[in-house]
Amino acid sequence: MHIEIDEIAKSFGSTTALHPVSLAIPSGALVALLGPSGSGKTTLLRILGGLEFPTSGRVLFDGQDATGLTVQERRAGFVFQSYALFRHMTVFENIAYGLRARPRRTRPPQAEIERRVTKLLELIQLPQIAKRFPSQLSGGQRQRVALARALAIEPRMLLLDEPFGALDARVRKELRQGLREIHDTTGLTTVFVTHDQDEAMELADLVVVMSMGRIEQVGRPQDIRARPATPFVRAFIDA
Amino acid sequence: MRALGIQKSPMPGFALGMGITMTMLSLIVVLPVGALLAQGAGYGLENVWTTVNTPRVWAALYLSFRLAFFAALFNLAFGTLLAWVLARYDFPGRRLVDAFVDLPFALPTAVAGIALTALYAPNGVFGGIARELGGKIAYTQWGILVALIFVGLPFVTRTVQPVIAEIEQEVEEASATLGAERFYTLRRVILPMLLPAALTGFALSLARAVGEYGSVIFIAGNLPLKTEIAPLLIVIKLEEFDYDGAAAIGIAMLLISFSMLLAINLIQIWSRRRIGHV
Amino acid sequence: MSDGTQTLPAKWRPVTEESRPVRIALIAAALAGLAVLVLAPLVVVFAEALARGAAEAVASLVQPDARAAVKLTLLVAAVAVPVNAVFGIAAAWTITKFDFRGKAFLITLIDLPFSISPVVAGLALVLLFGTNSLVGGWLVASGFPIIFALPGIVLATIFVTFPFVARELIPVMIEQGRAEEEAALTLGASGWRAFLTVTLPNIKWALLYGVLLCNARAMGEFGAVAVVSGKIRGQTATMPITIEMMYNEYLSVAAFSLAAVLALLGLLTLALKTVLEWRHADQLAASRRH
Repeated sequence: MHIEIDEIAKSFGSTTALHPVSLAIPSGALVALLGPSGSGKTTLLRILGGLEFPTSGRVLFDGQDATGLTVQERRAGFVFQSYALFRHMTVFENIAYGLRARPRRTRPPQAEIERRVTKLLELIQLPQIAKRFPSQLSGGQRQRVALARALAIEPRMLLLDEPFGALDARVRKELRQGLREIHDTTGLTTVFVTHDQDEAMELADLVVVMSMGRIEQVGRPQDIRARPATPFVRAFIDA
Repeated sequence: MRALGIQKSPMPGFALGMGITMTMLSLIVVLPVGALLAQGAGYGLENVWTTVNTPRVWAALYLSFRLAFFAALFNLAFGTLLAWVLARYDFPGRRLVDAFVDLPFALPTAVAGIALTALYAPNGVFGGIARELGGKIAYTQWGILVALIFVGLPFVTRTVQPVIAEIEQEVEEASATLGAERFYTLRRVILPMLLPAALTGFALSLARAVGEYGSVIFIAGNLPLKTEIAPLLIVIKLEEFDYDGAAAIGIAMLLISFSMLLAINLIQIWSRRRIGHV
Repeated sequence: MSDGTQTLPAKWRPVTEESRPVRIALIAAALAGLAVLVLAPLVVVFAEALARGAAEAVASLVQPDARAAVKLTLLVAAVAVPVNAVFGIAAAWTITKFDFRGKAFLITLIDLPFSISPVVAGLALVLLFGTNSLVGGWLVASGFPIIFALPGIVLATIFVTFPFVARELIPVMIEQGRAEEEAALTLGASGWRAFLTVTLPNIKWALLYGVLLCNARAMGEFGAVAVVSGKIRGQTATMPITIEMMYNEYLSVAAFSLAAVLALLGLLTLALKTVLEWRHADQLAASRRH
């Protein structure tokens, strides 16, 4: 799905989190929102997911105005920084949650839910953990379960907030590859937020560098590296 | 000291601290409870059973336990609602209301007892309304229920409130991004997370209500087989100088309390294992 | 639409909030419930006390029975509360500063009075110290009766308030650890000095909090005291017992006036407790989680 951000701005009370920003994300792209904390990248992601309402501006999905769509209507697969797994549910129940939450008319039958969850567990290469509780999983396993749970609702796009933030360096490298593979298999337009420029450069097709609520530069990783558009970008990617 | 299994410690005062603790514990708690059990043992297990196994005692035990259960059930629902409102919503006077929730802990039971009776007796404010509607609250089982709800009210709220404050916002947001409407999130995500704490509060409220005396006797009516609670039977036996009979009922009540204490611990172990200790 | 604040669509709201009507309904239900269940009984106490005017309420409080009851209750609390404070400190010190076998069992024993009906507690004391028992018979014979006398009332009061102070102190002292006392000892302080200059300042608010709750319960205890006191007017009748006797004699104003005094004490306790929670939340935080 093609995403268009049209002059989106957001302020919380008197503090401005986002100045009007515009950005076009081509269908099927893997995009990194890169910037230091306070740059507005998470706010932008949350506006895309419908968790925040912009102070001004519009969001368009495939050319259609989606600004007023509620979070439930957006069908955006969202992976949170803390993963936000449901502690009292097994991995299976976590992944099945989005399907079970549907109104009766559109809810798949139990057999279909089981089939889909099993398939997703295979996709994240953890077929044997269905009956475990989140507290019994490693950090990397939790991240992949959160990803599977987001994919279960057949989302129109995938949004990830610092998906590797809570992991140690070794697991982080492994899972980057995992995300790339899942993106390539599903073909979903994917946006992830990171403060780690290596991660953005290695993983993304398109990198959006942000600072102080503004977009500094948008481009392919090699272009940004070769031609930083502003002093901030130069300093940030050199760091 | 070795014999007690204490490890060598540079900290002084073990002997003094332990001495005071054990002396007090023995004098105040262990010896009296021991005397109660000894009285029962001296009376004989069979006689204890014969005393308890009479319609009047059974009726009282059943009444105490049943009404305590319903009161705790009400407090489970209302206490959870109260905890949610106090933890999540902002309204004028919220902090004052929050402090006020503990009043049943701070108000002496005898005061609560006569106040509730004045309120729910046929010539009282609420009792008058009930009479208009053709009902009666004070001097019936309804009156006992009201009193037991009062004394147990804060337990569930106070156990659940901190858990609500600890729920990560992201968990609720995750539920919404997966397509769940707010009510579904409340039912399937938030309530199950609150359940272990709520059940602990339920058990505390139940334990308190089963043994409650002061707030109940004024409003109960105290009719044998109908509105006579178990602790009152002990008082009656004591007034008749029937120490064996009183001990028998006391032991029965102790057993009920201990099984509830055990239940509280099992609930906590179960919930900790299921949800993990974070 | 790109400039200025746009209005929220009607169906759009923060995802972690209930809709406004639902919120208002829940707040209203909670407040109405509290008003009926808790506020109304409190108001009735004062309304009944003042039913025939403030003068009569005050007059009922200065009559001999009421004065004797107030005196007795103050006396009982003055003995029971310090005893429990000393016990609570000793128990918390022993439990948190040392490692020994059976600690969990000791904590369970300390908590035990919370799960025993006050009436059963009174009964247990009667069975131990009453005239029918060996100990009690000997004590009465030597002119030192416990049951139906002041010592019994004090013992019953200590029993029901037994865990209050220890329970407040233990979590706080666990959180503070042992390092500070150990540091004081290595600097050459004696054990008492370490306790007075290091431990006590660290636990003072939690101690005060526990003492406050203990005192409120001590002055208001009814069930356990009713069993052991014998209810001798002017001698072993505490305030709650006197309230019962007056109420049963249809002396409504007198009963409710005395009840109003205890209710005021309850409100004062609540106010002080709340102030402590607001001011010293950091020091009390550990104990708020039981």
